[in-house]
Amino acid sequence: MLTDTPLHELEMRVVYGNTLCALAAQHPNIYVLEADLSKASGTNPVFCCSYPDRFINVGVCEANMIGVAAGLAVEGKIPFCASFTPFATRRVYDQITISVAYAKANVKIVGTAPGITAGPNGGTHMCLQDLAIMRVMPHMVVLSPADAYELRACLHWMAEYEGPVYLQLLRGQLPPIFDPSYGFAPGRAQHLRSGGDVTLVSTGYMTSFARQAAEELAAEGIAVDLWHHPSIKPLDGESLAQSARRTGRVVTVENQSVLGGLGGAVCEFLAEQCPAYVSRLGVPDRFGEVATEEYLFNKHGFGVMHIKEACRTMMRRAQCRL
Amino acid sequence: MHDDTIDLNLDQLAGEFRYIITEMICLAGSGHLGGALSLVEIIITLYWRLMRVNPDNPQWEERDRLVLSKGHAGPVLYTALAYKGFFPKSWLTTLNADGTYLPSHVDRLRTSGIDMTAGSLGQGLSAACGMAYRAKKDNLAHAVYCIIGDGESNEGQIWEAALFAGHHKLDNLIAICDYNCLQIDGFTDDVLTLEPLAAKWTAFNWHVLEMDGHDWQSIYRTLDAARQMRGKPVMVIAHTVKGKGNAVVENLPASHNIKINSPADHQKYLQGLGPACLAGTPWQDSKELPC
Repeated sequence: MLTDTPLHELEMRVVYGNTLCALAAQHPNIYVLEADLSKASGTNPVFCCSYPDRFINVGVCEANMIGVAAGLAVEGKIPFCASFTPFATRRVYDQITISVAYAKANVKIVGTAPGITAGPNGGTHMCLQDLAIMRVMPHMVVLSPADAYELRACLHWMAEYEGPVYLQLLRGQLPPIFDPSYGFAPGRAQHLRSGGDVTLVSTGYMTSFARQAAEELAAEGIAVDLWHHPSIKPLDGESLAQSARRTGRVVTVENQSVLGGLGGAVCEFLAEQCPAYVSRLGVPDRFGEVATEEYLFNKHGFGVMHIKEACRTMMRRAQCRL
Repeated sequence: MHDDTIDLNLDQLAGEFRYIITEMICLAGSGHLGGALSLVEIIITLYWRLMRVNPDNPQWEERDRLVLSKGHAGPVLYTALAYKGFFPKSWLTTLNADGTYLPSHVDRLRTSGIDMTAGSLGQGLSAACGMAYRAKKDNLAHAVYCIIGDGESNEGQIWEAALFAGHHKLDNLIAICDYNCLQIDGFTDDVLTLEPLAAKWTAFNWHVLEMDGHDWQSIYRTLDAARQMRGKPVMVIAHTVKGKGNAVVENLPASHNIKINSPADHQKYLQGLGPACLAGTPWQDSKELPC
């Protein structure tokens, strides 16, 4: 195990596998379930070799994976199930809804390579709606960590929390945003930069891009109030409202469809609690496709330059304050 | 083993079950009658002759588990659980009532004695696999029973679970297929044939047994044998009659979910039970429990 390597120098999937190993040493009830993608998830070889008795590869049977996990959970186990995001969520949406959420089974579901990070696997694997569909499921907590430290903290919290959780797992190495002291709490956003002009809200993969955009906008004289929401549900409405009341302008950015995910959750909350102008960045109502990240950012308009332009456009609007 | 006394009492109990199931569905105004009536003898045999359960401690670690994957047959299981003392028999009049503890489809969070939630077909066998897998890993001796429907066996997830249980040799898992040959839209052979069903399960690395799902001796002997089998999970194909014991619905596709629109409908379904119907006392908790 690469225990001496700083966490942020590891691939996120390696952090996932290593963290589950560490948790398994403390929690004898932790099980890992995979559906023939264990190398992609990062639990093979580290977890399956360390804890072969608590590692179940169900084969290419995602529906059965969710059901087996539910059965383990009602018997007191803590199963972590992973697959590519589309197969961990939309393919098994009813299984998760009934056998996990409705039955309140303590199952942790992990969707790997979310959104455009599915990259060369293309449109069939580019799930752009998992945050949206998972957050409308009662009993379900929905998380999208932005770096390795936050991922580790989320996994520690998930092991302790008694209830269903969905987590987006980015697979590659990511730039650090937090440090080893990071502590996760559901429904608590992270304030990454203070500013009074525009509230910028991001989650998961897009937070490092949002941070870069905010830094570059500062050089232009636009002060961005940057908030990272690792917890899409529960949403930290309190800090969102405080920032939106101050700026009156909100830009959201996510590695998802603009419909129903973080942007949708922000709009629902603000419309009822403190209306403000909102601009949602992400993929419009379209499917993904095989392409480079740059191509997809440019096509759909949610890379760093698009975040900056959305903030500038917001600055040209009057503040919306009620 | 043949015991006429036991059989006689069991027949009486089955008659009471059929009356209660029919009456509770009539009181609710609608419900899944046919698929509950086809399981009466099987559920009674499980709970009175085979399964180790403890109504005073429903979560007893060593209990045998039952996943009613065809969750719409809740009324037959509720009747058994009430008779065993998991909850008052008076609850049996509350099927689907506002705020009820007895919903149409079984719910582990609402009802004492329900081991797993079910209702969306095809999912329960996977959960039973997880429960059986856990029992083997933790060296626990209890059995996990799972009742699936024949219509439910159309679901692909059933066959994913079949692969899993066969691969992991879950010989503490006993699945029962309620093969009443009817699904909502008609006869299973017309909608989507399952045949050759026994050969399919054999091919998935299961032991396969068959029984007459309304004959006490056949059920007991088969399920008792299933419990003794080792090395593979066991599929028991139960040949049953949908709506068994109620002439108004017996072996009719329409028995799947009946609607009671008038007092006349209510009377019709009760009369369908014939002379075996034991109206009157079963709702009262003071009645001596035949356990």
